Amino acid sequence: MDVSNPIVADIFSPFQEYINSEQDVREEIRKIMKDVEKPLREITTILQVIHHDQSLEKMHAACLKARETFENVRNGYAALNKIVPPGQYYRYNDHWRYATQRLCFLAALIVFLEKGILINKETTAQILGVDDKANICLDLEDYLMGLLNLASELARYAVNSVTYGDYERPLQISKFVAELNAGFRLLNLKNDSLRKRFDALKYDVKKIEEVVYDLSIRGLVHSPNTSEPVNV
Amino acid sequence: MSKFRGNRNKRGKPVVGDKAKETLENMDEDNPVLVMFRQYSTELDNKHDRYERIVKLSRDVTIEAKRIIFLLHNTNTDIESKKKSIIEEAENRLQTLVESNFKTIAKELHNQDAYQYHRAYTAGLQEFIEALTFCQFLKNTSIESWANIDKLLKYRDDELGEYNLLFPQYDFILGIADFTGELMRRCINTLGVGNVEECFKLCDFVRHINTGFLGLISPGNKEISRKAYVLRQSLAKMELVCYNIQIRGTEIPKHMLISVIESSDVNPDDDEGFF
Repeated sequence: MDVSNPIVADIFSPFQEYINSEQDVREEIRKIMKDVEKPLREITTILQVIHHDQSLEKMHAACLKARETFENVRNGYAALNKIVPPGQYYRYNDHWRYATQRLCFLAALIVFLEKGILINKETTAQILGVDDKANICLDLEDYLMGLLNLASELARYAVNSVTYGDYERPLQISKFVAELNAGFRLLNLKNDSLRKRFDALKYDVKKIEEVVYDLSIRGLVHSPNTSEPVNV
Repeated sequence: MSKFRGNRNKRGKPVVGDKAKETLENMDEDNPVLVMFRQYSTELDNKHDRYERIVKLSRDVTIEAKRIIFLLHNTNTDIESKKKSIIEEAENRLQTLVESNFKTIAKELHNQDAYQYHRAYTAGLQEFIEALTFCQFLKNTSIESWANIDKLLKYRDDELGEYNLLFPQYDFILGIADFTGELMRRCINTLGVGNVEECFKLCDFVRHINTGFLGLISPGNKEISRKAYVLRQSLAKMELVCYNIQIRGTEIPKHMLISVIESSDVNPDDDEGFF
């Protein structure tokens, strides 16, 4: 740059250096995120098995495989932790926000399939490998976004379970998503993307309840204790 | 939730919301999901509240900075002592902003990831930079570097020890881009009082800044290209003013030049702001 121009020398040259070093960090982050997005896709694919096969063994095998694949995710985030400067998580988080939200969803799905419970933020952070890290963490809103994605996936899962003759699953899903919904209603959401995504949750709830309703009017739902048709 | 249940009833279809309703009614206060979410709710509220507090502080900075800029335009006078006292007042008011609003924001951000809240105060910060550089320029016909201004935003007190307000260089450069708009207005106004030399000086300064913007490699910030575009428009106006002075300056009295130029396509009002 032209040094005879004092404005350029004093103002713009330092700024250019600033931009350059920021670009370098971003480049590194992009490279790492590629390594995170690969297992992300793999896990997504692995877990799709729930939509076309209802056998428990296959489901458990898929969960196991998915959990193993998460090891690669954790490696990625560990590398990220080294690149992101201290206290600057939110400076760069555009690069990983979406992937993190998807991974939260996947972790939540695995835990639901394995145990039928709602994953908490701490466990999610552990599965992703962002817990106890100096420079990265799990953003609460990313985690919540993952849970909302889970509801959509479960709505689809409820429909497909019926197709494969599993009439109990939709009941479990219905209860689970209703609880999730109740939880979300405790939050004061701002008019942001999370709010918009939450507004779509009611469609998932509705879809699941329609499935339950269809089952119940045909007497296909049995209460677990009496095995008598119950009115849901 | 309640909304969607209402909709369903209206359509007269069977109520499928019953299951959810039942679940909700049967959920006790110790339900793990609810316990979990109550905690998230607090966390989320804290974040949103902090954000809103910073937005408010930043909005007050913007208002005050705009007033200071307005005040600084009054230095367009031949009376040196008046000019001096105005600049002094502006400096004091700028310093007050540093010590009040910005300090409070810095305190809010202490031990937080400041980038998470940066968007809440970037507007105020840019406006402040605009006022500050304008003031510096009127005083010394030069502006300070980012590093020097960053020093202003470092604090120290017994309560928190040393802390500072995050001041990204982007905000500095964007503030400077806005500052050139003030120079353009100033250029037109000085012409009004017949101070021709000042016009050329101002125009030259903005040219230097424009050169700086043109030389930036991949700033990767849309705001910068937008403001650089506005800057080029301001510069074009100023260059036209200088051209008119040169070519017609000998024909008519200097104080009448302004009407000549205003009747051509110079419009000092189309930028945001005060004049």
